Amino acid sequence: MNESLQAVDSRTRREEGTHLLVRAGEYSCALPLTLVRRVVRALTVHPLPGAAGELEGLAEFGGEPLPVLNLARLVSSPPGANPSYPVTVVVWVGPPEAREMVGLSADAALEVVHVPAGSIVAGDGGFVQGEAPVGTEVIRVLNLEALGSEH
Amino acid sequence: MSVPHARGFLLLRRAGSVWGIANGDVDGLAARGAGYRISAGGEMVAADEILGVVENLNVRPPAPALLRFWGAEAPVGLAVHGLLPVVVVDPRRLPAALRLQDGERLGEEPDEARR
Repeated sequence: MNESLQAVDSRTRREEGTHLLVRAGEYSCALPLTLVRRVVRALTVHPLPGAAGELEGLAEFGGEPLPVLNLARLVSSPPGANPSYPVTVVVWVGPPEAREMVGLSADAALEVVHVPAGSIVAGDGGFVQGEAPVGTEVIRVLNLEALGSEH
Repeated sequence: MSVPHARGFLLLRRAGSVWGIANGDVDGLAARGAGYRISAGGEMVAADEILGVVENLNVRPPAPALLRFWGAEAPVGLAVHGLLPVVVVDPRRLPAALRLQDGERLGEEPDEARR
């Protein structure tokens, strides 16, 4: 009984630490996989005059209006090389009781990785939860719940 | 040219985006040079192109994530018409992009304003 509970607990912790790794400018960023709804080829975005630079504009996704945010701008990444296969990652943001869907424009979707919670360091407690080593690289681990609630 | 008071929304293009204004707020519409001037809610709205009138538009309140980065221009809501996202606005709280520019304000043709 204890062993099966431990196995379930271990699986739950592993799912919580599973992230989608995407390229945003010169940074690699990890998005919690449970909050990723879909990855699509970069959506056509209609600009919103007067919006902050992080907000690229509005797109249509599944018949609904979708705000699209520039992930590289959100994490203050220097611009990278011209992307060959830019994507829009459709994610849920905000606290669980007030989830909303937004698109994050990124240069590429890379792979699914496991980021143990204990390996994340130097976070600001906000959108950038912290940094963690993955392979030979240090990646930014993002907290999507903070994106909709920060002011 | 005038716009009849009817259900639905007037859709227009301005500054690369598609905007919607409730038909009930629209008092009139006139061509001016290459664009249009719409009298709505006691204000004058500038449009580059009139896309038409749609009767049904499923307008949703703007998401907090959008307001966070576009709060000063807070729209009434967002919708989709065909494959085009639409920003629905209240003419009494116009975003800057929909206001007449200096050269447009006096009813001047854009070409005249540049001279």
